[in-house]
Amino acid sequence: MHEQAAVVVSRHLSKWYGQVSGLNDVSVAIPPGVTGLLGPNGAGKSTFMKLITGQLAPSAGSVRVLGEPIWGNPALYARIGFCPDQDAFYDRMTGLEWLDALVRLNGFAPDAARTAAMRALEAVELLDAAGKKIGAYSKGMRQRVKLAQAIVHDPELLILDEPLNGMDAIMRRKTIRMIRDWARAGKSVLVSSHILYEIESMTSNVLLINNGRILAEGNVHQIRDLIDEHPHTVFVRAEDPRALGRHLLAEDDVLSLRFEGGAVIVETARPDAFYTRLTRMAASGEAGVIEEVTSPDDNLQAVFKYLVKQ
Amino acid sequence: MTATTRTRFWTAATRIFELSFGEMLWSRRTIFMALVVGGPVLLAIAARFAAVNGSVRMRVNGVGLGSDDVFGMMIWLLFLRFSVPVLGVFYGTALIADEVEDKTITYLFTRPIPRAAVLIGKYLAYLACTTLVVLPAVTIIYFALVPLAQVPASFGQLLEDLGILALGLAVYGALFALMGASLKRPLITGLVFAFGWEQVALLVPGYLRQFTVVYHLQALFPHAMPSGRAVSLQAVFRDTSSPVTSVCWLLAMMGACLALAARAVERREYVLEQ
Amino acid sequence: MPIHDQGYRRYGGRRELHGRAWWVIARAGLLERVRERRFLALLLFAWSPFIVRAVQIYVSANFTQASFLAPSAGTFREFLDQQSLFLFFVTIYAGSGLIANDRRANALQVYLSKPLTRVEYVAGKLLTLSIFLTAVTWVPAMLLLLLQVMFAGSTAFLRNNLFLVPAISVFCSIQVLVSSLAMLALSSLSKSRRFVAIMYAGVIFFAAATYQVLRAITGSTAWAWISPEDTVDVLGDAIFGLPPGAALPLPAAVLVVAVLAAGSAFILERRVRPVDIVT
Repeated sequence: MHEQAAVVVSRHLSKWYGQVSGLNDVSVAIPPGVTGLLGPNGAGKSTFMKLITGQLAPSAGSVRVLGEPIWGNPALYARIGFCPDQDAFYDRMTGLEWLDALVRLNGFAPDAARTAAMRALEAVELLDAAGKKIGAYSKGMRQRVKLAQAIVHDPELLILDEPLNGMDAIMRRKTIRMIRDWARAGKSVLVSSHILYEIESMTSNVLLINNGRILAEGNVHQIRDLIDEHPHTVFVRAEDPRALGRHLLAEDDVLSLRFEGGAVIVETARPDAFYTRLTRMAASGEAGVIEEVTSPDDNLQAVFKYLVKQ
Repeated sequence: MTATTRTRFWTAATRIFELSFGEMLWSRRTIFMALVVGGPVLLAIAARFAAVNGSVRMRVNGVGLGSDDVFGMMIWLLFLRFSVPVLGVFYGTALIADEVEDKTITYLFTRPIPRAAVLIGKYLAYLACTTLVVLPAVTIIYFALVPLAQVPASFGQLLEDLGILALGLAVYGALFALMGASLKRPLITGLVFAFGWEQVALLVPGYLRQFTVVYHLQALFPHAMPSGRAVSLQAVFRDTSSPVTSVCWLLAMMGACLALAARAVERREYVLEQ
Repeated sequence: MPIHDQGYRRYGGRRELHGRAWWVIARAGLLERVRERRFLALLLFAWSPFIVRAVQIYVSANFTQASFLAPSAGTFREFLDQQSLFLFFVTIYAGSGLIANDRRANALQVYLSKPLTRVEYVAGKLLTLSIFLTAVTWVPAMLLLLLQVMFAGSTAFLRNNLFLVPAISVFCSIQVLVSSLAMLALSSLSKSRRFVAIMYAGVIFFAAATYQVLRAITGSTAWAWISPEDTVDVLGDAIFGLPPGAALPLPAAVLVVAVLAAGSAFILERRVRPVDIVT
């Protein structure tokens, strides 16, 4: 990724809390569009988020957001919207009052601030609760009003730290759709989560982090392809798994196979050759009817599990 | 700082003031503040009632006191030596610390405004809040203690007292705002300063006492004291500097503390509790 | 080699009897506090008057020219008076967050869903604070008494002032209990440690200031009942057999202290609940 096109660029970025390392020598260039920051709890996601939103100063290295250094540069916040992970609000204020007050800090005039606040509440489906005190909101509503304050000033870059926490399934889906819509509208979005399928449903561009280090970055399929030492697993459901297995074992592109229910799970070091052969077998019917072919390895979980073990 | 950035700074500080003033005034801290200033009000009303009844003759060291002298003593002992520093410690040390503890600081520090504007805005809200509560309470005490006939003669001095109290709130607030911005446990340090250092330094002759707020407030106070027929309460106080010098010192302290506090807030990292 | 089952197994170890949970809470509170260097520094600083007094006792015992420095019963009373400043600061530092932090973290629900009664919870918290307060009052006072015997090389002083042992113990118990209960009660009222600290300081100083004003206006020290510190001082004077510093009758002082303790216990009973019911 060319650094000039990147929305966030970090070079040898490290952060220590006393003796504890929060982030260790992280050099990344996050491209425009939606990027998922994925890692287990304690991986360093929030530390990274806080560094790129200027709440913490780097212990070493540098970080630039939208081409400018972020620490001590409050003007840049006009172009950034940040949704933090903590559940903290001014509970005595209504949703509308809170958004109005925050967006006025962005320099909006009173009327424009009101309009923007209403628009943001509408986007997160909280218009009906605009006049209700935030202290009376449910967890999901609180999460949505937090999102609203991040988008209220129409920023170019959205940084969302665990935005789906506390949301029900329907709201999760709506929020994921919203994130994809924002990206289509030209915003860049960096979303952090420890839940793999959430990230997968938003983007295929990921940043994998663990123990304060970046494990991998880029398109999840490309990452997968690069892990060529790791054998590719293919799940094949067939009418006659044993017959299929006999045919598959005839060639040396199969490293191992096992039977599970009505399927054969194959490990291969040469997925291209294997898939070509499998396609031919399916077309000719020589090994019986092949009902389903999937690769569990193509999902983020498999990639992550493999990388974390390294 | 250019004129434009100065304008933006003060606009941001004003926005923060508007956001914080309501929160401060209607929070639980207000109950505490009401108790701190309400107690002396009740005391004054009780003292007036007792004096009217003739059941208590107010005196100091056996010498009878006029009501205006009692008023001066109450303002000195209960407000300038107690309420004002306590309110300063309570609010001043918590200007930023409260937001950090409540984890709402993130929303303010990720807006396109200087961090120092957040501190100054909150400081102004504290000042407005406390003066709105303390000054009327003192006025009520005045009218409770001073007979109506004596009001025209001493009303000007009441206004001076109110000014001194406002100045005291401003200076203590700035000082404790600096402690709050710079120290990890500012409350203990603030209490040690207000009720330890200031008490001790006043008793030590020499220049040491100039490094207290109360010394300079004290210098303003005797002139504001209502004159009465009893013991001059100036005998209670040690030698003081001139009022002009004291006001300059106090304003300089306030300015320096606010500037240093603003600088500290700009440079400090706030790591929120997980 | 036998293959061991790695699945869940029931705890087969020793279990403590019910009714010991208060010690678990106290121990956790003590360990948490002693890990803080600032707090240890405060405790050490609280012992500085002890060093001064120890030197005084040594010098008076070993140098006849300094016999005027010889301790009396009043010396121990004065020492405990000096220690009341450190009592105040240690109470604020160690006590303000005891229950407030648990309320903030919604931990009361967790605690009280264990086989632990509210009494045990409060007792544990009370013990945490009491131990620290005892460490800056009773312990140095008794050590001073011991040092006096050791430096003098005789038990004459102790035999002549045997009442000092119960007097120090009783007075320190009153100081520690009143401070601990009051601080715990205030801590249960809020979720903010800082708010609790300033409330405690406010109550103490406001009461003392009000007493001073009333004393100045009326010329009477009977108003000492308004100030908890001055009330406890009256009790201390009586316990040490010294002339009272205020014209507050002893039964009145006892009543004030009892009301304070009872009021604190009442507040704790109302506030230490697993769930806050909001209507």
